Amino acid sequence: MRSFGRQCRGQGKVFVKLVRQTEQRLLDLGESIETWTQQAKALLHQGTQLSEAQREHLLRDLEAASDAHRQVVKQSQRLTQGKKLRQFKIVNAYDPTIAPILKGKSNCPAQFGRKIGILSDPAGGFIFANRVPEGNPSDPSYVLPLLDKVQQAIDLVTSPSPFQVHSLGGDLGVNDPELRQALHDRGILSVGIPTTVEPINPQPSPEEVLAILNASGLNRIRTPHQVHLACASGYSRPVVESHIATLMSRGAGELPYKGLEGAVVQMGMTVMAHNGAVLVRIHQQRLSKRGQKFRRLLGLRRRNIKRMRSQEVEREAIFSRARKDQVDVHRTSW
Amino acid sequence: MGILHHLQHWLNGQGLQLQPVEFVPETHAIRLWADTFPWDAMVDAVTQSFAQRFPKKRAKGGRAPVSPRVLLALELLKHELGESDEGICQRLRTDVAVMYACGLREVQADGSQAHFVLPETLAQFRRRIDPDLMDKLVAIQAAAAMEEGLVSPAHLLVDTFPSEQGSQRVTDATTLYKAQKKPSSHRANQQTGHRSRHDLEHASC
Repeated sequence: MRSFGRQCRGQGKVFVKLVRQTEQRLLDLGESIETWTQQAKALLHQGTQLSEAQREHLLRDLEAASDAHRQVVKQSQRLTQGKKLRQFKIVNAYDPTIAPILKGKSNCPAQFGRKIGILSDPAGGFIFANRVPEGNPSDPSYVLPLLDKVQQAIDLVTSPSPFQVHSLGGDLGVNDPELRQALHDRGILSVGIPTTVEPINPQPSPEEVLAILNASGLNRIRTPHQVHLACASGYSRPVVESHIATLMSRGAGELPYKGLEGAVVQMGMTVMAHNGAVLVRIHQQRLSKRGQKFRRLLGLRRRNIKRMRSQEVEREAIFSRARKDQVDVHRTSW
Repeated sequence: MGILHHLQHWLNGQGLQLQPVEFVPETHAIRLWADTFPWDAMVDAVTQSFAQRFPKKRAKGGRAPVSPRVLLALELLKHELGESDEGICQRLRTDVAVMYACGLREVQADGSQAHFVLPETLAQFRRRIDPDLMDKLVAIQAAAAMEEGLVSPAHLLVDTFPSEQGSQRVTDATTLYKAQKKPSSHRANQQTGHRSRHDLEHASC
C-alpha cells in the first residue's frame, strides 16, 4: 500500500513530554465546557424567539459538539496517564470517522485520512466499483462489498449475454483463507491473489490448471481458458498502481470535501471522470499492448468495432433527421 | 439560499445565439469524454433520489431551476479538469466545450452576465448526493459500458490506497512546538536586521 505525508522522520526529537504537558493544559482549559453546555441547553429551552425547528437544530449541533469533546477528553486522559491508545483513535475532532492509515511516531507527520478500495479491470483500467469505509478496516474486508457493487452494475445490464466475475486478483494484503472460500462460493477464482512474494505464473501448465480448478472446487464452473486469463490477470496485478496513479492525478490523493459523505462523493466523481477518460481511450484504441491482448482474449474488440460502427450510423441518421426538421421549422416560420 | 433560487440565466439572454453542438469540434477531448456518459439514466437516478429524499414541492411561479444534468456534468468536469467550484462555473460561462459537456444545446447570453451557474448552487447540489446515489451512478456508468461491450468484469483487480483528509497536523504538541518556534524565529529575524514586507511598505510611504 502507498503512503503519504511529509518526510520528516529522524529529527531526533521526541515530543512525548510536551504532548503530555499540552494535553494536560488543554484538559484544564476544557473542564468548563460541560458546564457551559448545560447552561446553553437551559438558555435554548428558555428562549422564546426561536422556532421549534431552530431549537431542535441547535440542540442537535450542541449535543454533537459535546459528544465529540467527551470522546477527545477520554482519549487525552489516556495519553496523559501514559496508557496506550485503543484502535480507531480520534484524529479529528470534527470528524471521528477519519482514522490513522499508517503507523507513526510522536515526532512524525500525521498519516491519517481514508483508505479507499477500488475494483478495476486490468485491460483498460475501468473502475467498476470503489469503496470509502469508515476508519481503517483490513484489506480483505473491502472485497465482498466491492463485488456486491459490481453485481449491482451487472444487474442493470439488459443485454442477453449475462456478465460474470470469473476471477479476482490482489496483493498479499487480501490473502485471507476466509475470503478465498467466500470467493469460491461465488464461483470466482482466487488464483490472482498470491500466497507468497513470488510472482504468479502467467502461463500455467494443464496439470497446474487442473490443480487450481480442483483446489477451488470450481472444476465444472470455470474453464481452463478462464484460469489462464485469471493467472495472466494476477500476474499483471501491478497495473492497478497505474489506475491509482491516474486517480491521484485527478485529486484522489487529498480529500478537501468534508466528512465521510464528502469523501464518498469526491471519490465517486473522480472514479466516474477517470472511467470517462478510459472509455475515450478504448474508443480510440489507445491501449497498451497488454491491454489490447487482454481485450482480444476476452472477446471485446471485434464486437466493439461492429457496435461502434452501427452507433455511428445511427447517430448520423439522427443528426441528419434533426437538421431536416430544423430546416422545415425555419421554412414554416418564414 | 435554496437551490431553486439560482436560475438558468441563459434562458432570457438577449445576446447572440450559440449552438455548442455545431461549434465544438467532434475530436475535442471534452466532447469525446462527455459523450461516454449515459446522461439520461444518470439524470433520472439523481432526479428520483432527490424527489424521494427531498419531497418538498417548490412554489409555483418563478423561473425554472438549474437542470440536474448541468450540475452533474459540472461536478464531473470539476474532477476531470482539476478545477475549483468557482473555476468550473466560470468556464461554463466562457468555454463552449464545457457548455457542450453540460448538455446545453443553445445558449443566448448577455455580455453582462457573469455566471450561468453560481458556485454555491454546485455546492448545494453536491451536498444532496448521498453514498447510495453515488454508488448507483457508478453502477449506471459501468452497466452502460458493459452493455456497449467496451468493458468486461470477468477478471478484476482489487487494491486500496490512502487519501489525506482533514488537517494533517499530528498532535497538539506539534502545533504548540510550531507556534513556539515562530515567534522566536521572528524575533531572530528582527535582530539580524530582516525587515518584513509590512515594514518595507511603511518605510516606502
